[in-house]
Amino acid sequence: MSDEQSALQQSGRAPGDPGVWFFIIADMAMFAIFFLIFMAGRHEAPELYRASQAHLDSRFGLANTLILLTSGACMAKAVMMARAGDVAITLRYLLLTLGIGLLFGVSKVMEYGTKFAAGIAINTNEFFGYYFAFTGIHFLHWIIGCGVLTVLIRRVRRSGVNAENINWIESGGIYWHMVDLLWVMLFAMIYLLPPGGTA
Amino acid sequence: MVQLTTDNSYGTWRFCAWNGMIFMGVFIVFWGIMGHNVPPYGGDMDASVIANYFRDNANLVRLGMAISMTFAVSYAVWGISIGKVMDYILGRDHILTNLQVWGAGLTVVPILVSSSFWLTGSYRPEALPDEILQLLYDMAWLLIDLAYSVTSVQMIALGVGCLRDKRAQPFFPKWVCWYSIWVGFMFVAEILMPMFKSGAFARQGILNFWIEFMIFFIYAPIITFYQLKAIKRIEAGEPAA
Repeated sequence: MSDEQSALQQSGRAPGDPGVWFFIIADMAMFAIFFLIFMAGRHEAPELYRASQAHLDSRFGLANTLILLTSGACMAKAVMMARAGDVAITLRYLLLTLGIGLLFGVSKVMEYGTKFAAGIAINTNEFFGYYFAFTGIHFLHWIIGCGVLTVLIRRVRRSGVNAENINWIESGGIYWHMVDLLWVMLFAMIYLLPPGGTA
Repeated sequence: MVQLTTDNSYGTWRFCAWNGMIFMGVFIVFWGIMGHNVPPYGGDMDASVIANYFRDNANLVRLGMAISMTFAVSYAVWGISIGKVMDYILGRDHILTNLQVWGAGLTVVPILVSSSFWLTGSYRPEALPDEILQLLYDMAWLLIDLAYSVTSVQMIALGVGCLRDKRAQPFFPKWVCWYSIWVGFMFVAEILMPMFKSGAFARQGILNFWIEFMIFFIYAPIITFYQLKAIKRIEAGEPAA
C-alpha cells in the first residue's frame, strides 16, 4: 500500500468530493430500481425473456466488460500517480483511461447496429424495451464520463496535480468506476442470467 | 471582488422564493388531484376511457387546469429569486445564473400549453369524438414530459453554479447542488416515454411518472429551504464570496 493510500485511510476521508458521492448513490439507487423492474418482468414472462436473450451476442457484452474494467484499472492508477505527484504518468494513465474507454462506444454502436439490422428495436417487446432503455441510459453515463475524462486531462495539462486537481481526479475516478460497476451489473443481468432462475 | 446586486428588497426576494412552494402546492392539488393526473390514464387505454374522463369530470378538470395555468408563472418567479441568491455566489449577470433563470422561465411554457390541452378537452367534451379527446390527452402528456430539458437547464445550472460557492458554509450544501444536477440529468429518461404505451417508461409507469415526478416534487422544497436561509444571511450582511 502506498503512503498516499495509507494517509487517506487513516484520515477516514472517502476519496473525491463528498458531494459527488451523493450523485453516485442517487444514480446507483435509480439503477437498482431499473434492475428490480427488469427482474420483475423476467419473473413474469420467463419465456419471452429467454427467447429475446438468445438474440443478444454476449461476446459484445464480454468485450464491453473487459474494456471498461481495463479502463477503470488505468483510472485507478491515474489516481494513485496523481496522489504521488507524478504529472507525466498521471496524464499518461488518464489518456489510456479515455482511449480504452472510447472502445466501449465503438463496440456499443456496433452492437446496436446489429440489432437494428436484425429488425430489433426498442418497441419489439418488453425485454428489448428494457435492454435499449437501460443500456441507453448507461451509454449516456459513458458519454458524460468521457467528457469528464477530457476535462481532467486538460486540467492536468494546464496545472499539474495540485490539491484541487487531485480532488477532481478522485471524483472523476469514482464516477468512472460507477460506469464500470453499472455495466458489470447490466451485463450479468441482461446477457448472462438465465430467465426463470434455471441454470 | 464579486460585484453585488444593488437590489436589497429582501422581503420581495423572500416572497418570490415562496412562489416555489406555491407552485408545487397548486401543481399537486389543482393539476394533479383535481385534474386526475396522479396517476395519468395509461397510454394503452382505450379512447373511450379518456373521453369519459373528460366528460365525467369536466368541471373539475376545467377548474384544475384554469388554476394551474394561473399559477404556472410562479415557477419563473421562484427561479428569479434563486437568481438573486446566485448573484451573491457568482457575481451579477453570470451565465450560469442566466441559464438558471431562463430555464425556470421557460419551464412555465410547457406547463401552460399542456394545461391548455387538458382544458380544451374538458371545455366541450360532449361535442367531441373519443379519438379527438384522446389526442388532446396524449398531446398534453407528451408535451409536459418531453419538455423536461428546459427544467434540466435550470437544475444543472443551479447545481453547477452553487458548487462554485467558496464560503466555509455555502448557501446551498454540496449535496443539494449535486442533487440538483442529478435530477436535471435523470429527467432524460423522459425521452423514452413516447416509445412505450405500458411498462416502467410509459407516461403512467413507475419510472417516468412516479419516480420522475417524485424527485421533481421534493426538489422545490429542498431548494426553497436553503434559498430562504441564504436570503436571511444576505439580509444580515453576509458579503459576496
